[in-house]
Order: sequence, then C-alpha cells, then structure tokens
Amino acid sequence: MTLGFHLRMLARESRGSRGRLAFFVVCLAVGVAAVVAVAGLSASLRDGIRREARQLLAADLAVRGNQPLPPETLTAIAAIPGARRTDVKETVTVAAAPARGGQPGPSQLVELKVVDGVYPFYGKLDLRPRRPLRELLTPGTTVVASELLPRLGLKVGDSLLIGGQPFRVAGTVLAEPDRVSVSFTLGPRAFLTGAGFARTHLEEQGSRVGYRALVKLPDQLSGTELDAIAERLRDALPAGDFFRVETYRQAQPALQQNISRVERFLGLVALLSLFVGGIGVAQSVRAWLAGRLDAIAILKCLGMRPREIFPLYLGQTVLLGLAGSVLGILAGAAIQLVLPRLFPDLIPGELVRPWQPAALLRGLGLGVGVAMLFSLPPLSAVLRVPPARVLRRDAEPLPRHRWVTAVTGLALGLGIWGMAAFQSDSALLGAQFTGGVALVTAALAGAAFLVARGVRRLPRDASPQWARPWLRHGLAALARPGAGAGSAIVALGLGVLVVLGMSLVERRVLSQLDKELPANAPSAFLIDVQPDQWQGVEALLRQQGGRGVESVPVVMARLAAIDGVRTEDLVAAREKEAGKDSGEGNGRDRGERGERGGGGRGGDRRWGLTREQRLTYMRELPKDNKIVAGALWSDPARPEVSLEKGFAEEIGAHLGSTLTFNVQGVPLDLEVTSLRTVDWGTFGINFFLVVEPGVLESAPQQRLAVARLPRGAEQRVQDLLAARYPNVTFLRIREILEKVLKVLRRISLGIRFLGGFTVVAGIAILAGAVSAGSARRGREVALLKTLGMTRRGVAATFAVEYALVGLVAGAIGAVGGAVLAWGVVTRGFKIPWALDPWILTAALAASILLTVIAGLAASLRALERRPIEVLRAE
Amino acid sequence: MTSPRIELRQLTRKLPSGDRELTILDHVDLTIQPGEFVAVLGPSGSGKSTLLALMAGLDRPTSGEIRIDGEPIQAMSEDGLALLRRQKIGFVFQSFQLLSNLTARENVLLPAELLGVADPYARADELLAAVGLADRGHHYPSQLSGGEQQRVALARAFAARPPILLADEPTGNLDGATGRRILELLTDLRSREGTTLVLVTHDPAVAALAGRQIHLLDGRIERDESGATATAATAVAPAAGVPA
Repeated sequence: MTLGFHLRMLARESRGSRGRLAFFVVCLAVGVAAVVAVAGLSASLRDGIRREARQLLAADLAVRGNQPLPPETLTAIAAIPGARRTDVKETVTVAAAPARGGQPGPSQLVELKVVDGVYPFYGKLDLRPRRPLRELLTPGTTVVASELLPRLGLKVGDSLLIGGQPFRVAGTVLAEPDRVSVSFTLGPRAFLTGAGFARTHLEEQGSRVGYRALVKLPDQLSGTELDAIAERLRDALPAGDFFRVETYRQAQPALQQNISRVERFLGLVALLSLFVGGIGVAQSVRAWLAGRLDAIAILKCLGMRPREIFPLYLGQTVLLGLAGSVLGILAGAAIQLVLPRLFPDLIPGELVRPWQPAALLRGLGLGVGVAMLFSLPPLSAVLRVPPARVLRRDAEPLPRHRWVTAVTGLALGLGIWGMAAFQSDSALLGAQFTGGVALVTAALAGAAFLVARGVRRLPRDASPQWARPWLRHGLAALARPGAGAGSAIVALGLGVLVVLGMSLVERRVLSQLDKELPANAPSAFLIDVQPDQWQGVEALLRQQGGRGVESVPVVMARLAAIDGVRTEDLVAAREKEAGKDSGEGNGRDRGERGERGGGGRGGDRRWGLTREQRLTYMRELPKDNKIVAGALWSDPARPEVSLEKGFAEEIGAHLGSTLTFNVQGVPLDLEVTSLRTVDWGTFGINFFLVVEPGVLESAPQQRLAVARLPRGAEQRVQDLLAARYPNVTFLRIREILEKVLKVLRRISLGIRFLGGFTVVAGIAILAGAVSAGSARRGREVALLKTLGMTRRGVAATFAVEYALVGLVAGAIGAVGGAVLAWGVVTRGFKIPWALDPWILTAALAASILLTVIAGLAASLRALERRPIEVLRAE
Repeated sequence: MTSPRIELRQLTRKLPSGDRELTILDHVDLTIQPGEFVAVLGPSGSGKSTLLALMAGLDRPTSGEIRIDGEPIQAMSEDGLALLRRQKIGFVFQSFQLLSNLTARENVLLPAELLGVADPYARADELLAAVGLADRGHHYPSQLSGGEQQRVALARAFAARPPILLADEPTGNLDGATGRRILELLTDLRSREGTTLVLVTHDPAVAALAGRQIHLLDGRIERDESGATATAATAVAPAAGVPA
C-alpha cells in the first residue's frame, strides 16, 4: 500500500471525528499556549539583549572591577589602535535639596554615575534638554533622573547637594542604554563628572565604588579580533580575579543566565499544564475510539492489518495535535502581546517579539509530541478490537500483549522525561520533574480510585435520613464505571497543586520578609560614617527618637592568602574544580569570572575570596551569634579572627587556618580560632569576619550603624543626615525589602499565571469528560425526569457528583501544594514554615466551585432535553 | 487435484457464559470446493455466524483445523489473517457494516486499494454500476436506504475479486422485494466472477438458491444436502432492468 493510500485513509477517517475531538484540540492548545508564551518571552528578552548588546554595554568592550583599574590595563587599552576610552564610576549615596528656612531639604538615595569622556558610545542617552551629556555635565553640574526632582521639590536649574557639595541640575535623564529597566535599583540616577565627584570626597571616605572603563573600538573590527583584544586585556590584568572584561558579544552574560534560569523553571511549570492537557487528550482519544470500534472491526474484516490501522489513528492524533498546537501557538503569541500591557512591570513590552521561530517550533514539537505520547495508551486498544465484532457485538477483545503495555508505558515515561529535560535543559532536572509528576499523579489517581471504591461501598438500600435522592445518585454517579472522574481529579489536582503551592510560597516568603520583621529589628542602616562623625550622628539618631542605636567599626581589607596559599592560586584551583563538577548551566565563560550570581557554588567561592572584605572588631559577640566550634579570643599569642561558619566553608577555611589580609597596603595575619552561626533574620549588624580587639584599632576605618526609627521618621532623619553628614549613606530597610518583595512578586505572579493554565486544562478535561458522556447523561436525565425528579433535582444530583470531584482534587492538590511549598520555603528560602489554613480552605472552595460550574455548564444540553426526545430515540 | 477451497476438520468453538462454557460449534467437518455455492441453514444460536467467522479468520477455534486453499489458518497471526482476508475473502453482512464516514464509492474502493488493484477507481465504478448505484457513489451510508446500503456492501465484497465470499443473512434486514433484488445481484455477480459463496440464512427460500445446503443444529451439522434444488431464475424474479 502506498503512502498516498494511507494519507487518503487518514483524510477519510477524520471526517466523522472533527467536531467530537474539539476537546482534544482545546486541552492541547491550553498547554501549548503556556509553553510558547514562556519560550517566546524569554527568547524575546534574550534576543533583545543580543540585538541591543552594544547599547546595553554602551561600548564594544568594558573592563570592570571594584577597585580602580590598574595602570597596566589602562596602558594596554591605550595601546589598542583606534581605541577610545571613557571611565565610569558608580556608587550609591544620598542626594538632598538645600536647606530651606533652617530646615534641611528633602533627601533621596541615588545611584551615582560618574562619567569622564564620551558616553555612551552606543545606544541613546535620552536627556532633556536634548543635548549631549558632555555639554550638560560640568564639574559644577549634575544630570538626574526626571523622577528625582519632584521627590526633592526641585526643578532643572536648582541646586542639588551630593556628598554635601552643591551641583546645579543641568538636565534630566529619561533613559540610559546600559541600565536595564527590569533590574533591581536602589534609587534614581544622578550623573556627575570626575571632577565633580572628586569635590564630594565620597571616594576617599570609603564609599563602595564600582569602576568601569568603556572602550570603543574601530568600527571595521571583526568579532574574532574583538575577542582577541579582550583576551589580551584579560592577560594584562593582575592575577586574582578582581576585574573582568566583557564584550558586547557576550551580551550581558549574567542577565542572560538569570533569564535562562527563570525560563527553565517557568518552562517546567508550563510543561506541566501541557501534560495535564495530555491527560485530556488521552481521555478524548479513548472516548473517540469507543465510537470507532465498529469501523475498526470492519477495516480488520476487509483485510487491514492492526499495524496498518494503528497508524491511521495515530495519524489522526498527529493531525489533531498539529491543530491544537497551532491554536496554542496563536494563543501563546497573543499572551505575549497582552501580558506586557497587563503587567508593564513584568516584561518590557518594547522587547517582545511574539513570533520567535524557536519558541513556535518548541510549542509545535512539544504539542504534537504530547498528543502522540498521551494517545498511545488509549490507541493501543485498536490492536485489541476483535474483527468478529462485525458479526457479534459481544465478541471478546483480543488478548492484551504484555509487551504492548510495557512499550506504551515506557514510551510515556521516557517521553515525559525527554520533554522535561528539553524544557529545563537538564537531564537531572527533567528526571526529578518526571519523578515528582509521577508521584503526584499516582497519589491523585490512587485517591480517585479509593474515593470511587468508598462511594461504591456506601449502603444504598439502607437509605439513611441524610441520603436525599440527589445526594445518593450524585455519589453513585462517581462510582459508575467509566465516569471519567479519575482523569479529571488528576488534572484538576495538579492544577490546584501548582497554583496553591506557589501562592503559599509567596505568602510565606512575603510575610516572613514583611510582617514578621522582628519588632526590635533596626529600620535603617547607616554606612560610611567617619569615626569623627559618629558622636554627632548618634546624637542625631537619638534626638529623632531612634532606639536600638548601635555602631561598629568597619575596616576594609582584601584576603591575600589562606594558610600561605595566595588567593589568586586558590581561585585558579577552584575554577578548575568548578569546571570539572559543573554539570549543566555552569558553563560560564571567562568574561564572567569573579561575579556573584554566576553559577552555583563555584561562583560563590570565587566571590567570597576576591571581593573586598569588611572586618570589624569587638570584645563580645552580639546575641544572635553562636559559637559552634573553637573558642572566642582563646589564643593569647596570636591575633585571632572569628568566621561565620557558612563563609568559612565558602572560602575553604577551618579552625586553625591562617588568613592573610591586605589592610589597605598593610599585611595582617589572623588565626581562625572560632566558627559562629548567625541568625540573619534579626537584621542586626553582623559580619562574616570579626577580629579580636587590639589589632585593627589604628587601621583606616569607618563605622556602620543601625537604628530603629519611629515610623515616618526615616525621611526626616535622612534629610538631616544629608544636610549635616552628606557622605553618610542611609539605607531604609523597609524600602529595600519592598523592592526585593516586588521582584519576588513578579516571579510568583508568573508562576501562578502559568499554573492557572493547568487549572484551565483541568477544567477543560472535566467539561470534556462530561460532554463525552452526554448521551448517557441525556438518557439518565430523561429517566430521572420520567420518574418524577425535577430539573433542579437532577442538577443537584450532578452538582453533588462534580462537587465531589472538585473536593477530592482540591484536597489532594492542596496537600501536595502545601508539601511543595514547605519544601521550597524551608529548603530553598531557609525560613521557618507556617501554614495559613484559610488559604487552604479557600483553595478547596474554589476547586469545588469551579468544578461544579464547569460540570453543570457542560451538562446543560442534557438537562434541557425533554424525556420523550430521549426515550423515543431508544 | 486441486485442494478444496475451504476445509474444516473437527472444528470446535466454545465460549464462556457465566460460570459455564457454551459449545457453539461441536466437532464440525466440512469441505467446500472452488466455485461451490453453499447455504448454511439453522435456527438462532445453532452456530451459523460463528462458523462463518471462523472461516474468515475473524474468530479462533477452541480446537480443530481450518484450511483455506489447503493452508491451515488457525495458527496464523492477526496480521496473517488480515492479509488472508484481503486477498481471498469478501463479506456481506446482515447489518451492511459500511464505514459511515466513507462515501459509497470509497467503501467500494477500499478493498481494491488495499489489494493494490491497478485501477481501483474503475473497478469501484464498474461495480457500483453493476449494482445500480452509479450515480450514488458520492453519498454517505446514512444518506442511502437499507437496500442501497446492502448493494454498496455487495459491490464492496466483490471489489477485490475474492475467490471466497461469505454472506451472513444478507437479506435479513431488508423487506422481501429488496431482499430478492439483493440475492439476484449476489448470484449474478457470483456467477460472473466464479466466486465460492457461503451464505448463512434461516430462510429456506434463500437457501434453495444454493447448490448445497448445510443444516446446523446445536453446533453440529445435521444434514448436508447436495444437488441444485433451485436456480436464481426460479427462486427470484428475473434480473430484468439491472444494469450489468
């Protein structure tokens, strides 16, 4: 037989089924839409980053670090033919309006950017007035974000105090190329020139400054030449990983990696809704084949072999899969267009390109794959249709081949794993996901089975008082063979699990960060306080009602060696080790070295070793510290340091290790004599490194202070500090927490949004099951009505059945969701677990309500039919 | 000497019925030669349809042997049986058994396509014309009357020129006149194609058309009467007006 014949048969066979398989298409489309939306949005973001890579870097190449770039690097840059350089410094400080009428002007935390030279080399700095930055910015002027001015009650032309020095506001900035709108910021932007920044003395007073050299290379340079230059610059950097070189070709590796991480996670959530859709697919195929048994028997009778009939129906599911996927792709694209409008904070709408070929293909492939995979078990029934059915309706089914069951089961498992691995880009994560889904599905299916059995065993004839007819019938309906309640329970349960699980995590984390901030936690941190300013600052804080005012000295230092091994060598050794054990996702290229938030432990370790360390010294540890190994200040012979346990592990130090620090040029050896744990949840002042008193007193230092200020007093304190101690940076904890919460809320919103698809798919499945059985239901309604039950009574009967489905799915989903949330909260976020019973109750109620509404809606036609219509047709 | 077309030896079929086992066919021996027209008669439950199903490889015997053209089929795989039906056996059923989502022409076309006949469309059109439905080929079964559906089924049964045609009460669901018309067509096509025909019926008038009558009772052959007792011409009205 030719391919043409098969295709003709496929087209013929599909004729009678088109309408009936609408649920197949809908179930699949819902899941595909979720997958395409996630893949499309992240591809859009990454695409946008790549497309605008030069703008996002504002240069061809940048060298950055948290100390001034060494002269040899600057020489190396100068040696590149045709290269132009702009130096940029960034720091956070408080800007304030000048005093008015004896009162300090309002103040605001700002992100300062100090620019000398052409900026930006690429992209657009959107300024008002529309003039180049170089023209607006002089040592005496500043250009600030437009939102800063109203907050400080200023306008362009007014004077603004930064570091206590007045700067005339020469213009406002609306957009900067290298500041991504979705990233976390501490405050609005303010630009200064290098000379202007020098006037503020912030750099000498210990502010943490980021240094960056932006390099513009000749236009005709090829990508490989650029990489070669970057490599030469890396070689010219001093060893020790304090700097990194980025080119636009790497296009924001850290940002891209974050997007990938979120994409993997959301991709799996989306895949789950596709799998739930797959359950609906399996169910529609089963119902469809039940109506095709005669046709299959005839085909067998006419001499078609089972293996020729099977592809016929598999082909149908592929066609339907294609239809569902295309519909899903359209819906997914629509979501991408609508989402940025609904949640402008979530996704920058200007980046979204909904027609990402890779995302569309992914949706198509996964959609058709799920359609085929989930159709396999019901389709294998084709093999069992007895051809003798053409003569005898009750002909026995053909024997079930054990290998068919085994092969379909194996294919399903492998297929789910394969797709999960593909979505998460990790074989291991895919396996964990598959295991989790299998476990939850088994629990839900088991519960559905037990409920059906339990209901079947209820005494029916005894008819106790409570058992109104509609209740009895409703309960019995659930136990009826082939009621389709099982798959609806599994699907809905999975949906409830995801949505509830994520909202529990979100609520728990938010309340932990927000409401449950300890009552005696400080509300503000003050950094960069000079020792001679402390007395005044302390008095000011107390005057303004500050309580719990504390301060500790801070000495900045770099870790030079551990037990005589130089930090550079430790970093190199760990880089090698990280390269060895980094499975997937860790494959970061060299340009990203030394930056936190990279990939896993390797990144943490490097960062722990190479960053600027803050040391303090004190006689007694704060109450929230607990010595877990060694003893504090126990060696009279040598200067000692006490390490936080996690930090010690991170840098690879232990009791007895000798840490060599470079304290602003002076080497200092400290012996680790104790390890501590710290309860960071108190928000008290705590340090990884605490040094024995008597060692660091003469080193250059600042003070770090905390205070608990009355609500509403923070702004006034900040204004006063800005006026009197302009170098002091005042951080409001509540405000920063709010910003962290906002980021968390965005992610949580995304997950719940996608989890919602699972619920929608679950409801589609229930509605599909209900309407697939509508013929049976029509007869049932007719009989009940003939026997004298009112339409309301019949509806109540059905409602009981659906409510029970919703109850079981909701209950198991809720328990599963709570377990999931517990795991994420206690393991992932490491915060204590607490459960709000109300949200569980609400989830349960919502699950029941949705199920009843969907079920009744799908039964409407059956309910409306008059008994005679049905009985006449018998 | 050529082997018999169909040969049944000690054929037994039992079916479970509740706790007991029901014997549908009980050690049946039967040999049918090429070109024979055999009618199988018997009351309901005598095992007529089961006999037919076993001959076609639609069902499997509990014991005994079935040979088609000398080849035993009881041990064949499902695939082997399907191929056997494709090449050698045509069917006509009491309830027509047309594929509802295929047009009349497509129903007829199907066996010819399966067998890879050179011009299946020409064959289908020829047969539809032979049964008087040349202009109804594009209709779906649901748009045809019972008699018309059975005529399509007849055309389909002959489409692949099978050496064997099995008919299970082909006139059982039709009124008298239509039934006669169908039988007429059936015998006419059979003699044109030289097909071996096994026809199950409980109607002695229909059975009278056959050259041989097998009477089944309780799963056994009660009588095997040979010799033509009637012809198509005497049993039914002349095939006047039937396009050939």
